[in-house]
Amino acid sequence: MFLYALLAAVVAILAIFVSPLRAKVWVATTVISLAAIGALFLVVSSLIGGEIMLAKFSTDLFGLERISVDAVSALFLAIIAIASVAVVIYSRGYVEGYFKRFSPTHISLHYTALVLLVVSMMMVVVSSGGFSFLFSWELMTIASFILILFEADRQEVRRAALNYLVMMHIGFMFLVAGFVMLYNVTGSANFAAVECYFKVAKPVPLFVMFFLGFGMKAGLFPMHIWLPEAHPAAPSHVSAIMSGVMIKTGVYGILRMLQAIDHNTELLYSIGLIVLLAGIVTGLWGVILAAMQNDVKRLLAYSSIENIGVILIGLGVAAVGHAAGSNLIGMCGMCGALLHVVNHSLFKTMLFMSAGNIYSKMHTTAMNQMGGLAKHMPVTAILMLFATVAICALPPLNGFVSELLIYIGMFNGVSDGHEVLYAIGGIIALSLIGGVVVLAFSKLYGVVFLGSPRSHHVAESTEVDNQRIVAMAIPAVLILVIGLLPHYAIRPIALVAEGVTGADSGLAIASFVPMLEKLSYIGVMLLLVISLLFVAKRRAQLKRKIESGPTWGCGFTAPNTKMQYTGESFSEGLENIGKPLMKDTVDGRAVEKSEIFPSQHNYEVRHKDKVDSLLGQWWVKLMHRINLNVMRLRTGRVNNYITFALAFLAAVLIFTLVGIL
Amino acid sequence: MIVVALSITGVINRTRAVLAGRKGIRFFQHVSNARLMLRKGAVYSPTTTALFRIAPCVYLGAAIMAFLFIPVANLEPVLSFHGDIILVAYLLALSRIAIVLAAMDTGSSFEGMGAAREALYGALVEPALMMGLATFALFCGYSSFADIFSTAQMFDTNLSIVMLLLAYVFLIIMIIESGRVPVDDPRTHLELTMIHEVMCLDYSGIDLAMINIAGWLKNAIWAMIAANAVSVVVCFHWEFATPLAILGSGITIGAIESLRARNKLSRNTTYILTIVAMSALVLLTGFLLYQNIDI
Repeated sequence: MFLYALLAAVVAILAIFVSPLRAKVWVATTVISLAAIGALFLVVSSLIGGEIMLAKFSTDLFGLERISVDAVSALFLAIIAIASVAVVIYSRGYVEGYFKRFSPTHISLHYTALVLLVVSMMMVVVSSGGFSFLFSWELMTIASFILILFEADRQEVRRAALNYLVMMHIGFMFLVAGFVMLYNVTGSANFAAVECYFKVAKPVPLFVMFFLGFGMKAGLFPMHIWLPEAHPAAPSHVSAIMSGVMIKTGVYGILRMLQAIDHNTELLYSIGLIVLLAGIVTGLWGVILAAMQNDVKRLLAYSSIENIGVILIGLGVAAVGHAAGSNLIGMCGMCGALLHVVNHSLFKTMLFMSAGNIYSKMHTTAMNQMGGLAKHMPVTAILMLFATVAICALPPLNGFVSELLIYIGMFNGVSDGHEVLYAIGGIIALSLIGGVVVLAFSKLYGVVFLGSPRSHHVAESTEVDNQRIVAMAIPAVLILVIGLLPHYAIRPIALVAEGVTGADSGLAIASFVPMLEKLSYIGVMLLLVISLLFVAKRRAQLKRKIESGPTWGCGFTAPNTKMQYTGESFSEGLENIGKPLMKDTVDGRAVEKSEIFPSQHNYEVRHKDKVDSLLGQWWVKLMHRINLNVMRLRTGRVNNYITFALAFLAAVLIFTLVGIL
Repeated sequence: MIVVALSITGVINRTRAVLAGRKGIRFFQHVSNARLMLRKGAVYSPTTTALFRIAPCVYLGAAIMAFLFIPVANLEPVLSFHGDIILVAYLLALSRIAIVLAAMDTGSSFEGMGAAREALYGALVEPALMMGLATFALFCGYSSFADIFSTAQMFDTNLSIVMLLLAYVFLIIMIIESGRVPVDDPRTHLELTMIHEVMCLDYSGIDLAMINIAGWLKNAIWAMIAANAVSVVVCFHWEFATPLAILGSGITIGAIESLRARNKLSRNTTYILTIVAMSALVLLTGFLLYQNIDI
């Protein structure tokens, strides 16, 4: 089994390296599509027929392990499969722009890493824990590290990639520690053993280890700071798959934890509260900083953080509701959170691909140099608008369905008197998130696509190739299907939720489906009303005089495009509220009020995350100095190294004799 | 309900006129204005895209859909399902993003200014709205407008104070969302200080009429929710609630507009956050009262 898998991997990698430059993408596409088809096959058969066992083996480190697909794995396998196919189709046009700049080996390495990332993510969600899980987790980190490093000739890219690698390994350490603790107590390092562990040992340390480890990947506050650095640095299709799918593996881990403590009501309650609180903080922090960003991809990265927050709010509601004894609230929260995992993977993939289209034409992601792109890239503009409406959770698209379910869970909590105060906290947070997301994305869309061009690059940009459009249409279709037919989409989700909570989903389905059916009618009705109004307007206007005149300049006759509202000015009002979360860095000097005839100035403000600035504190410098001193030991002479080894052995001997070890 | 939508603006205008000692314009003058605009052609800026032309339809369409969910006291709404209170809030958000993007589409700095302010105030008022709705859900155990108000008659009198406060909160939300004094002044002549009006500067003819009609519908939604909350306490019947919605909200807003100066723009955020705090307080009060009754 393993030999075959290894052989297949080697053949695939060789094929990528050997094939001619333009064919590399097709090899990668074939491999990923095959993997995706296999995964989707597993998804369907496991949802219908229950858990599928793929392999069972024993490892030296952690004992018996299994590779199997259950309902939870199925959900994540599905989103990985869909997003990765879309991404690899998209990548052809995007990577072609770099053929002159990078060698064929570089391109091969990129595609190898892409294939490895997809495969390792799939392995992460099917392995039962222990060694195979950690191995694929690490493989996932390294593959994504190589992918981020694509434009390795830029210094900020190298910096961001290194930052990512270090942070991921801190998270990895927590996970290793967690699995070792688990193995020590229960003799098995599978997720299934967690339940047993929580019965016999103190649950808090293990939970903290796993929560930190998975939270690092998911981008939980305050471990989110790698996201806004890594995403702008990575090529857009890589950001798409990392943000759309890879950070969800963190959510997957947290889901496994919740699954394990399902029967322990008291523990579930307190852990649910922690998750809810973490979700609220992460969501609010993410969304406010998203609204303050002036870089397309940084904004999207912060919005991913916010969406992870929303997912965790849903999970928290589910856990607290379940612990409080309400099956319905638990189901609402869980289904909402799981559906949001799917939804976010769809629209965030699309948004990052749109950002990629913009970047490949504009060669920048600075929002304030764009404007009016909708005229030059109409299809991208329409697709991005679609994704924007979806991510703002507006009806009739999919984002609304998942947030509606979470809201209903919380409103049920309020009306049934279950944990009213926490439910209210969740409602306030989610509504504020919903409001500010609208601000952030209307800023993004308005500044980038609408208005008049702010730089000459806009006029030179053209629509991207059709293949990229097709790749973006894949998630778009699914967004529309989930948005307009939510009562069908909820059934598999409810099955998965049943797999997590162990509760019967029949009751919940019975209460969801009529509601979602109505919602689907209303969505269609909304679209009908809007199109009717539009048609009526067009018909009425046919016979009338339609003129074209300049935008009203309020009496000012010589407006220029620099006078438009920029991204910075758009979020100015929020700045006063968001100030405590940020540290502003200013480059250059602003025009002073006393200057009657202003000269030319360069002025740039960057709103940096407060958490980020913690990394520049004294203790980092101290670590740096310690490291420098330790580096002196690295003399490069073999005889010195042998001395060190001897000293180490002697120390071990002495310690053993004394009895410390 | 449609009567409510059509008359509120008239009542506001009349109240203003009476308080200012003027005779005032005709009661349905705004309707005639809209009819006139519906017959006119249009001017579009070359900067704009198709989005600019679709946006008024989305704005009005979403408002119409939201409008259909609101009951008039004991009369059933046209549409209703479990959870529609959230849908209404998000439909209004959909209409907001449509108009904000349309304003950005003109490329005018003034309209960008209006769009930014509208987006910010809309974002901040959302928690107040949701908490108001949560208070209803707390008392009635439902999350659809129809169920809330149909079970609401069986209240304890202790809760009437909460209902009256809720009506107040929704009235203020109405002021904020419709851009009235003290948050925004629809009659200002200076584009720099406008919020809602400046976003539709470039609209003319049918588009402008659509935006105005949507504005009436939205006013009617808030006024009706507030009136329903009051009539739960006093007399729960549509014959009472409808005139209350028209007169109560119309006269209050008209009076506030005549008697108060508008806020400085920078104070608006504080003003809105005060309403958020207020509705949180109402919710907590309601929660405490509710718990006491249970015990």
